[in-house]
Amino acid sequence: MKKTLITFMLMSMAATPVFAADTIKIAITGPFTGGSAPMGGSMRDGAKLAIAEINAKEGIVIGGKKMQFEVIERDDEAKNDRGALIALELASMSDLSGVIGSVNTGVVLAGDKHYQEKGITKIITPAAGSASMTQWSKAGVPDLSIFRFAAHDGIQSEMVVEEAINRKLNKVAIMYDSTNYGVSGRDDMMEQIKKQGNKLDVVASEKFNIGDKDMTAQLLKAKSADAQAILIWGIGPELAAFANGMAKMDMKIPLIGGWPLSMSNFIDNAGKNGNGTLMPQTFIEEPITPKVKGFIDSYHKAYNVERIASPVSAAQGYDAVYIFAAAVKQAQSQDTKKIKEALEDLRDPVEGVIATWKQPFSKWDPANEQTHEAFRREQVVMGMVQDGHVVFGNDADRQRLIKNAAK
Amino acid sequence: MNSTIIAQMAVSGAMMGLVYALIAYGFQLTFSTSKSINFGQGELVMLSAFFSLTLLNWGVPYWLMVPGGLLFGVVLGLAVERAGVRLALEQKSEGWILLTIIIGLLGFSAAENIWGRDDRPFPTPISSDALHFFGISITPLEISVAVGVFAVMGLIELFKRKTLLGKAFEAVSADRDAAELMGISATRTVMLSYGLSGMVAAMAGILVSPITTVGPTMASALILKAFSVAVVAGLESGFGVVIVGIFLGALESLTSFYLGSGWREAPGLILLILALAVRPNGIFGKATIRKV
Repeated sequence: MKKTLITFMLMSMAATPVFAADTIKIAITGPFTGGSAPMGGSMRDGAKLAIAEINAKEGIVIGGKKMQFEVIERDDEAKNDRGALIALELASMSDLSGVIGSVNTGVVLAGDKHYQEKGITKIITPAAGSASMTQWSKAGVPDLSIFRFAAHDGIQSEMVVEEAINRKLNKVAIMYDSTNYGVSGRDDMMEQIKKQGNKLDVVASEKFNIGDKDMTAQLLKAKSADAQAILIWGIGPELAAFANGMAKMDMKIPLIGGWPLSMSNFIDNAGKNGNGTLMPQTFIEEPITPKVKGFIDSYHKAYNVERIASPVSAAQGYDAVYIFAAAVKQAQSQDTKKIKEALEDLRDPVEGVIATWKQPFSKWDPANEQTHEAFRREQVVMGMVQDGHVVFGNDADRQRLIKNAAK
Repeated sequence: MNSTIIAQMAVSGAMMGLVYALIAYGFQLTFSTSKSINFGQGELVMLSAFFSLTLLNWGVPYWLMVPGGLLFGVVLGLAVERAGVRLALEQKSEGWILLTIIIGLLGFSAAENIWGRDDRPFPTPISSDALHFFGISITPLEISVAVGVFAVMGLIELFKRKTLLGKAFEAVSADRDAAELMGISATRTVMLSYGLSGMVAAMAGILVSPITTVGPTMASALILKAFSVAVVAGLESGFGVVIVGIFLGALESLTSFYLGSGWREAPGLILLILALAVRPNGIFGKATIRKV
């Protein structure tokens, strides 16, 4: 298997000319099957929607020639080893202009070094934990071809704490899963509580394991300490176990946490018990502006769905492609290194569905990952689960976005 | 407040403990007749749960789905017996250990390929709105688990004691050779025990799914606990598993409350070590004397 794959790779390398003259090759990678598929699949579909729109217009004009995007899709199945193999394969293509994708931190950590080594421009979206960028700042690489287009954990924990303070709460319980993601989420939240003036008293701090089904013990600790909200950091169905346990024990207090709370495995498994749960979101599937409405409608039509599996991922995939396309246009080249330089200094604002992106990235500075991070606090809003959908949690956010779009 | 907390934890834990007991009972059924157990029992729980969910998705009403799911469990149990156990037993080899593990792994990959790796909700007409007794919250769903566990175990025990076929079952359990001399087919009885064991696994899957959600890994934690329960209670004792199951479940929740959830698994394991060191045949097991 491995041998045939290598032969195949060698053959395809030999077969393709160094610069296929009239296409811009872009790879989309992510988990399209398995547990993370709602995110990976929606991101891919959003990205392909943007590519179809660009291609339908006239593509991108490079040196007077109309160029079309050509998509290469690779399913990493959320497996680290698959991700590494795919990165190796893509990085060996000499005419690849860039890569968009990834959901799982492990996959990013296993694969991105191959892109960086060959200097291939990659935009990480819709997700991946902080380590996906800090690995480069810690190593102090002078030049980086990896960009991230996702609301990082720092922004999310800031908003979670802010939300509890805005609700005039004093006592909160922190719950976190025992993975790296959960533990660093707890640390982030503790730090934010300190940073935002120590207004919250953490009355319980409890851990849970992946696969735990019964959260009675953790919830009882919170209940007996009179917690007024549960701040939670975790992934997957364990979050639903909390919502269900809270309903069972009549705990009518807010559940606030990171964006996995907006995923189908929480929303579906928690059912009506999930209503009112709050989490940061970069995009809400609500047609608040004509631009957003256009995107939602064409997504529903193109993929024949009534609801986007992961609206955040779809919108991020869509905007990431437009930002990438703007960089290609500015660079006037399919060369991935020139595109990288253009991305670091985008002159024209890019109108996306999440926001109008003005200079989303800047020249990489190993002392500051923010240079390759597009999202800032103002692009993120608080979402709330309501009857199987995620809606705006605060009307102020909705008004702000409408006002921004009108500007 | 404090005593209600303890009571709440104990009750919640005991409910989960009953599920361990039911799966452990499945181990016992086959062990008593054939001295073999299905190490892929957890996969039977999971596959039956997935199958039942598929029935529900096809529009089969809940109460018709239950017998359908149980039947599927019986078929799986028989398949395991035929493919993994019968030949090994005939040759007096221990091959069934590896074979049942392998069949379980096959079932696991099949489930991943057919139904995917996601955890899915399992709809149920039984309400999950909490009822309150003396400050303790308990949901009708949890009560249904308890009722279901006792019902299926009670019926099987009744069957073993009151019917001719059941008596044959008991006879083979007591002494296989003597039973064969009396004209009872040991092979058929072992088949029967695997069928029943599969049914028990299916029942456990249907009962626990609305609480735990359905996914390929749903039973991996349950099965270890069930195994501990079966060993601690003794692989031959019918209702001993219930007592040990309830005890272990309650102990687990209390531990995770007082020592932290990271220690949740510890009491079960300590109990297992203690039981094996002090009473290798289980707390409720009979010491068997092997006459040579």
